[in-house]
Amino acid sequence: MTVTLGDPVVEELRRILGHDHVLTGKADRLNRTRVPAPFPVHRWAERMPDLIVMPGSTGEVAEVLRLAHAHRIPVVPRDGGTGLTDGAVPLRGGIVVDVKRLNQIKEIDLDNRTCTVGTGINALKLNEVLSRHGLLYPDDPASYPCSLVGGRIGTSGWSLIGSRYGHTRDLVLSFDHVLPTGRVIHVGDGIGRKITKSSSGYQLKHLFMGHQGTLGIATEATLKLFPKPEAEFSPFWAFDDYDSAYRTVGQLARAGVATFAGAVLFDEWKVAYLRRDDEAYIPQPASVKALVCAALYGYEDEVRAGGSRLMRIARSMGARYLGDEISQGDWAARHDRYATPLHGRTRSGQVVPMSWHCEDASINYTNLPAVRLAWHEIADRLRRASDVFDDWGMFAYTNGATGADYLTEIDIGIWEQRLDDAAWAAWVSAKRDLAAVALAHGGSISACHGSCREGEVDLVPEELGGGFDVMLAIKRALDPHNIMNPGKYLLDRAYPDQDGSP
Amino acid sequence: MSYRYRDEMTPPPPERASEVAVTRFEHVYEVDPALMTEHVTQQTFPNWDTLRLVRSRAGHLAWMHAHFADKVVSGEELLDDLDR
Repeated sequence: MTVTLGDPVVEELRRILGHDHVLTGKADRLNRTRVPAPFPVHRWAERMPDLIVMPGSTGEVAEVLRLAHAHRIPVVPRDGGTGLTDGAVPLRGGIVVDVKRLNQIKEIDLDNRTCTVGTGINALKLNEVLSRHGLLYPDDPASYPCSLVGGRIGTSGWSLIGSRYGHTRDLVLSFDHVLPTGRVIHVGDGIGRKITKSSSGYQLKHLFMGHQGTLGIATEATLKLFPKPEAEFSPFWAFDDYDSAYRTVGQLARAGVATFAGAVLFDEWKVAYLRRDDEAYIPQPASVKALVCAALYGYEDEVRAGGSRLMRIARSMGARYLGDEISQGDWAARHDRYATPLHGRTRSGQVVPMSWHCEDASINYTNLPAVRLAWHEIADRLRRASDVFDDWGMFAYTNGATGADYLTEIDIGIWEQRLDDAAWAAWVSAKRDLAAVALAHGGSISACHGSCREGEVDLVPEELGGGFDVMLAIKRALDPHNIMNPGKYLLDRAYPDQDGSP
Repeated sequence: MSYRYRDEMTPPPPERASEVAVTRFEHVYEVDPALMTEHVTQQTFPNWDTLRLVRSRAGHLAWMHAHFADKVVSGEELLDDLDR
């Protein structure tokens, strides 16, 4: 699609949305090309959409998709644009549907403890309103201040405090969803908007979460609410070695404390990175090699009782409490990692501006040590080859209250201005290798971000097996012309009779 | 904040905090200037602005705690209770 003023499609979009909500300017399009995950600057033009639309209702989204379907125009939904697997990035131009005008709170149901919102709303802004009612919507990613509800649905996101409250899939009860043909359906448990459990029919809610915009656009969602916690406790402990920290995080996660919202394990590389550049850790003695933190939320008496139990467990494992100032300051910063200005180091130690890339996987507790070593070997290979890459260490976050598996991530600093074609190829190869390690250890390629970015996506058919064939069949059935986010998740394979273009 | 421009533009002398960091104000750390000479150079900041940034960050973190819960439990208090 190449847009020229007077193009009949543009005129039709302006009729549907109003002149002000169809954007064709270069700045508007460039602003919606960028995502946090580093990409070679000299190739950004490949990711420019032809135009942006900003619908104000489900009906307008449906009309846009009907038009795109009729004219075979690619459509990419964009919410906060904070994803780390390029879900919001157009690979074939076309229309970006920016949902930020769908940001109304439609209803707060105090009796059923739900609210219904447009998917363009941000959880922080929503919680500012909910707190007046003593309520909280506890979907808490590292992009909490800037991600939007719709993006969380499209990614099937992961929450820092999900071990207590569940993740996006648990917190979103139902939503209006516009299919690629423009048809509007409502998906949830059964047909109810506020039902938390139904056995009626196929469970479609999960199908329309985590598809990275390849199956349509969620426009209005009903969310589960909780009482705003009376108290929070977020202890951080230091260890002389990784193995002690690893054993401790396992004990904490398996303790069965009801207010337990999550625990995090920081490895030696992460601590070394923090001791370079993080105010909280620079003064820490060199003997600090690994860290563990935990978070608890609930009524104060519950949090105190659970907190005492975790403190007792940690102390029995040889942990040293880092004090209230570091514990409280670091935990508060975990809600807001996207605001952190980032730099890395050349091998000689000079500071360079770097962007952050976080590769994630879901890994069982017993496989964390082996995955950690294998992943750092891959990062070390990159680092030895080029100053473009810096190993910023690894975290492992509990996925759930029982401690079975962890969101496991390695943070790589990337000097984006120096990311030439050779360095990009090395990075894509490394991403593929990181994903292969996760699968070799019985894990999943992603716990949090999705797995449709260049590199790891090559292994998705291997991870899903026959399930990937079902994905292809569903994609073709729901999106016969491949207009929704074409080029993602290897779904062009659903259209062997086409060249991949809509 | 000092009345004189010269005073504000003269930071206290650095003390080495680690092999890669120095400190000029209590609990405020900065990268060793020797490591910021090739690709990124340090900016000149008035002292009041350095301290404003640090206080703003602390304010932001306090706001984030209050956003998620009404009260923050002290680990030091819990440890004291365990020792009793």
